[in-house]
Amino acid sequence: MRAIDHHAWTNRWRDWHPAEKLLPAGSLLILTLMLPPLTTAPLVLTGMMVATVRGAGVPLQTLLRVLAAPATFLLAGIPFLAVSVDFAEGVNLHLSAEGLRLALTTTLRALAAMSCLAFLILTTPLTDWIAPLRRIGVPAGVVELILLIYRLIFVFFERALTGHQAQTARLGYSRVDRSVRSLGLLAGNLFQRALAQARRLEIGLMARGYTGELRVLAPKHVLSRTRLAAGLGLVGLVGATSGLLARGLS
Amino acid sequence: MTAPLLAARGLEYVYPGGVVALRGLDLSIERGQKLAILGPNGSGKTTLLLHLNGTCKPTGGEVRLDGQPARYDHRALNQWRRRVGLVLQEPDDQLFAATVGQDVSFGPLNLGLSEPETGERVREALEALRIAHLAERATHALSFGQKKRVAIAGVLAMRPEILVLDEPTAGLDPHGVTHLLGALQQLHEAGTTLVFSTHDVELAYAWADRVALFHEGTVLCQGGTAAVLGDREALHRARLRPPLLLEVAEALGAGRDQSCPAPRSREAVLTLLQERLGEPASAVSVEPAVAHSRRGPSE
Repeated sequence: MRAIDHHAWTNRWRDWHPAEKLLPAGSLLILTLMLPPLTTAPLVLTGMMVATVRGAGVPLQTLLRVLAAPATFLLAGIPFLAVSVDFAEGVNLHLSAEGLRLALTTTLRALAAMSCLAFLILTTPLTDWIAPLRRIGVPAGVVELILLIYRLIFVFFERALTGHQAQTARLGYSRVDRSVRSLGLLAGNLFQRALAQARRLEIGLMARGYTGELRVLAPKHVLSRTRLAAGLGLVGLVGATSGLLARGLS
Repeated sequence: MTAPLLAARGLEYVYPGGVVALRGLDLSIERGQKLAILGPNGSGKTTLLLHLNGTCKPTGGEVRLDGQPARYDHRALNQWRRRVGLVLQEPDDQLFAATVGQDVSFGPLNLGLSEPETGERVREALEALRIAHLAERATHALSFGQKKRVAIAGVLAMRPEILVLDEPTAGLDPHGVTHLLGALQQLHEAGTTLVFSTHDVELAYAWADRVALFHEGTVLCQGGTAAVLGDREALHRARLRPPLLLEVAEALGAGRDQSCPAPRSREAVLTLLQERLGEPASAVSVEPAVAHSRRGPSE
């Protein structure tokens, strides 16, 4: 998570207007879901990976790690798609061509869709989404909650990490039973500290005139028509190529 | 004489759990002062500071603003916090926005300023603390010292008359302390009244012009820095020791009377030492330094 955040803040496309990234990635995502996956998904996957790694300069390893977590779930699901169970004469398990095809298309489609999302989260820090969210009418309370959670996750994470280190230093994880106990203590402690932190944060905010609304200056990004056009051009290219390939295959 | 800018009279505060934090405390803050509230850990300094901007409402006694008893209704509190800026000890308790610039913009926007004016205030506050280069950085990616300066900038951007800082140097390295005190000194020269709590006697001696000696929820004495920190008995009662610089200076015969005041800076004490030893002043190299810091647990 820290790696994702780090790259979101430091990649080469960090200062682009979020729409320049959202529109192409979002369109590709929709293409992936609508067009035949066998031809579209590989194109989208390749396009998004190249954009993330070559374009924005996010290391391939980071991208693969981001994709790995959901990919594990996918792999776990493949057998259930590929194997069909027949109850006609006892219990019969058999692989069917239909099932294999389904497993393949689902995997490809899901991977391609995930690559679009990975591109977005790896190239755009959360703060850039705040202004658009407000503009499309997400309630202020929800947006503020997102902001606060984003900020406090890091504070919380750091406390959890130091707490864990301190416990380890006093052999809190030297045996399984001790580990369970230590982890419980740590969780309880973090909960209390989170509550105390919330109370102090409110004091700090009130000292700066907080009256129930967390308003800050929105980041200023200039929309580049060239980049937006290039992005949408890529979408068109993927769509057209996929269509041609599909026709050629059938 | 005009009424002090901010004053506490017979201030008492009992926490809901029954813990007595302040017991009949008197304090006055005059315009243009650099006042140190000096006391050991756990003596109630933070609780006192929370009364200075109306966060806590006293259970006895009162806080006075310009000689008028403070009111605690919504409008009065807003007005009060506009004038008295409070910086908490732990910057993570104060910074909530994702980027430095956004966080600092929070206060000015709450004052009802327009976006261009707010942008101007943000720039000005970041420059005053010499962190303009951090404006676009993520808040959580900063070092402790940087966070501390951002927290101060966030309050400064509201241009308070009085800046109240809880343990401003706690957790900073010597360079960070020098840097911070330099920025605060500039604010002071620009007319901001500064109040800060500390348990660091050396810091109070080197930097404050008035000291309130704080112990177990009450102010033992308040006065000029030299007078308060020269009062050994009071310091002992507050479980503090006299500043080393003062002790050395006194051992060298300075500070006994008005004609020969005790030197306040490290350089001045070293010069005095060299004079007494009869060596030329250039024989010992003198490093510029302001004060050292120690990090105490929060109170």
